Amino acid sequence: MSPMRKLRRFTLWTALKWALAIAIALVAVFPIWWMINVVFAQAGEPVSLNPRLWPTSLGAGLDKITTIFAETGYLRAYGISILYALLTIAGVLLVGSLAAFEFSLFEFPGRKILFGVVLLALMVPTAVTIIPTYVLVSRLGWLNTMEGLVVPGLASAFGLFMLVQFMRAIPRDMIEAARLDGAGHFQIYWHVVLPLCRNALVTLAILTFIQTWGNYMWPLIVGTKEELYTVGQVVGLFNSPLSHHTVDTVMTANLLAAVPPLIFFLIFQRQIVQGIAMSGSKG
Amino acid sequence: MAFLDISAVSKSFGSVSILRDVDLSIEEGEFVVFVGPSGCGKSTLLRMISGLEEISAGTISIAGEVMNEVEPADRGAAMVFQSYALYPHMTTFENVSFGLRMAHKARDFIAGRVNEAATILQLEKLLMRKPGQLSGGQKQRVAIGRAIVREPRVFLFDEPLSNLDAELRVQMRAELTELHKRLGTTMIYVTHDQIEAMTLADKMVVMAGGLIQQAGPPLTLYDDPDNQFVAGFVGSPKMNFLAGQLVSADAGAVKLSGVGGAAEIALPIGGVGGGARAVTVGLRPEHLTIAGDDAPGELQGRVTLVEELGAESFVHLTAADGTPMIVRARRDAARAGSSVRLGIDAGRALLFERDGQRIRGSLTQQ
Ligand SMILES: Nc1ncnc2c1ncn2[C@@H]1O[C@H](COP(=O)(O)OP(=O)(O)O)[C@@H](O)[C@H]1O
Ligand SMILES: [Mg+2]
Repeated sequence: MSPMRKLRRFTLWTALKWALAIAIALVAVFPIWWMINVVFAQAGEPVSLNPRLWPTSLGAGLDKITTIFAETGYLRAYGISILYALLTIAGVLLVGSLAAFEFSLFEFPGRKILFGVVLLALMVPTAVTIIPTYVLVSRLGWLNTMEGLVVPGLASAFGLFMLVQFMRAIPRDMIEAARLDGAGHFQIYWHVVLPLCRNALVTLAILTFIQTWGNYMWPLIVGTKEELYTVGQVVGLFNSPLSHHTVDTVMTANLLAAVPPLIFFLIFQRQIVQGIAMSGSKG
Repeated sequence: MAFLDISAVSKSFGSVSILRDVDLSIEEGEFVVFVGPSGCGKSTLLRMISGLEEISAGTISIAGEVMNEVEPADRGAAMVFQSYALYPHMTTFENVSFGLRMAHKARDFIAGRVNEAATILQLEKLLMRKPGQLSGGQKQRVAIGRAIVREPRVFLFDEPLSNLDAELRVQMRAELTELHKRLGTTMIYVTHDQIEAMTLADKMVVMAGGLIQQAGPPLTLYDDPDNQFVAGFVGSPKMNFLAGQLVSADAGAVKLSGVGGAAEIALPIGGVGGGARAVTVGLRPEHLTIAGDDAPGELQGRVTLVEELGAESFVHLTAADGTPMIVRARRDAARAGSSVRLGIDAGRALLFERDGQRIRGSLTQQ
């Protein structure tokens, strides 16, 4: 397309679309910008009668961050949250893909009924299952342990459903060719099916990360000891009505919690958008 | 016992019977082609040989050993799928070597085998490419390569050329024949295309309705079909079938009347029993000739269409009773709309019962 054509195409309609996109972006970015603004300024400045919309003091912000790291269990909470997310992702991918492999590519007695149960599980809200799950975890003696935090999240009905849909699209010939080539059950899973599902697995990993990082309720219920606090819980402490932190300390804690997902988003931007589109159309 | 023996094999999916009591012997090194209309069970029979499909009844044995319960990978059969079934995430090398890698063969051994196959199939330059970067014909070669490196006792092909364009199909056909000569391995090939079957087969197996209609060398099936189905299926354009009445038969000939509505003809088929009855006469397009308007000829027809192909022409006619016929004639032999008389090569005409069974004379033949 020539530049002239492009120019002529730039109509009022295009201008409106741009204006709308910019407006939405502003609304989305402003809270994050405001956090940065509050953190990197002398205390009280941004919320004064004459607020500033840009950061004024790098030093003040760094001071607040060091204080938080020094005086709370924030660093450990990072560790717990990341471990929680990584273990959950690994578990969900492993359990989900193994189960989906059987459900989608092989016949076994009760397959339809079992899959129906999985679909049912998709429709039951978390609020209903959370108490029975708690009782179960507590009977297993898993309160305040990493197992207690991670294991209940491994059976992801949504993940299974998504992977089953994806694996159903794998041509039967490919599986049969592998069988004729002498590949065993597990070799077919590992060498053929998993690589073919790469995109679906990446999507599921991303969605699982978003979900576990943002999960507030379950860690709060299962981890009552400080050693198992996730980032979400630590931030919760700052935000609680009885805390006597000033607004900029609270803001700093919030900003620190938002940084990992932001970095994650920047790295996986393309896959996240694709993934949400995919899970939207397929799941 | 033959090298590959299919004995009283039946197959049903649930209550639907697909194959009934199939018997077939295949000699070592033979190129066998299963041909028949779509849905007649060719792929199913092939897949039962490979082990991908269970055998409902009967036995399949290779080299004297019953295969019914043997794992697919242990039967020594390699299959080439219509869809090629290449793994999109693997290079040509990885695709071809997949089976050997799964069997944990040594690296050098694998490289040797793959290179050998690559040389035969001219894949040397494509070894590092993925299927997405290959043309249809190249993918086909890779799929064949994957079969070759396993050095199977039997190659199984399920419509391997049907995704290729016409020109490439002809070329690949020649290459397959070449490959068969070179390897000398037994090959079983499934197609719905009778021309492909004729050109490739040592033994052509015509299937329909869950049964083997006839098996034998392609030209035997062409010249001497067992029934009307085989007669009509083999050959293009199709054999013409004309209804008629068998009037009388003696040691030297049968006399027919009302053939194609009107003609009285005699065919040199001796010793036909069974008395007067309705029959069907089969005449290949090349066994009919167009005679002049007033020349003597047994059959009469009205020309509806002439397809000029340059070297020859296909003349479409309707007989007196409305039966459509095709005559293979020289160029400019007839004009559409005209009435012509047809000469019959009576020695080559075939006779069928109305139920399709061939009526063979007991005394003279052909
Ligand atoms: N797994 C199956 N379940 C049920 N019916 C099948 C199955 N596979 C094939 N069939 C049926 O068996 C018949 C023969 O199929 P197939 O062997 O593929 O035919 P062909 O290869 O001659 O076209 C078809 O009617 C098909 O619908
Ligand atoms: Mg088929």
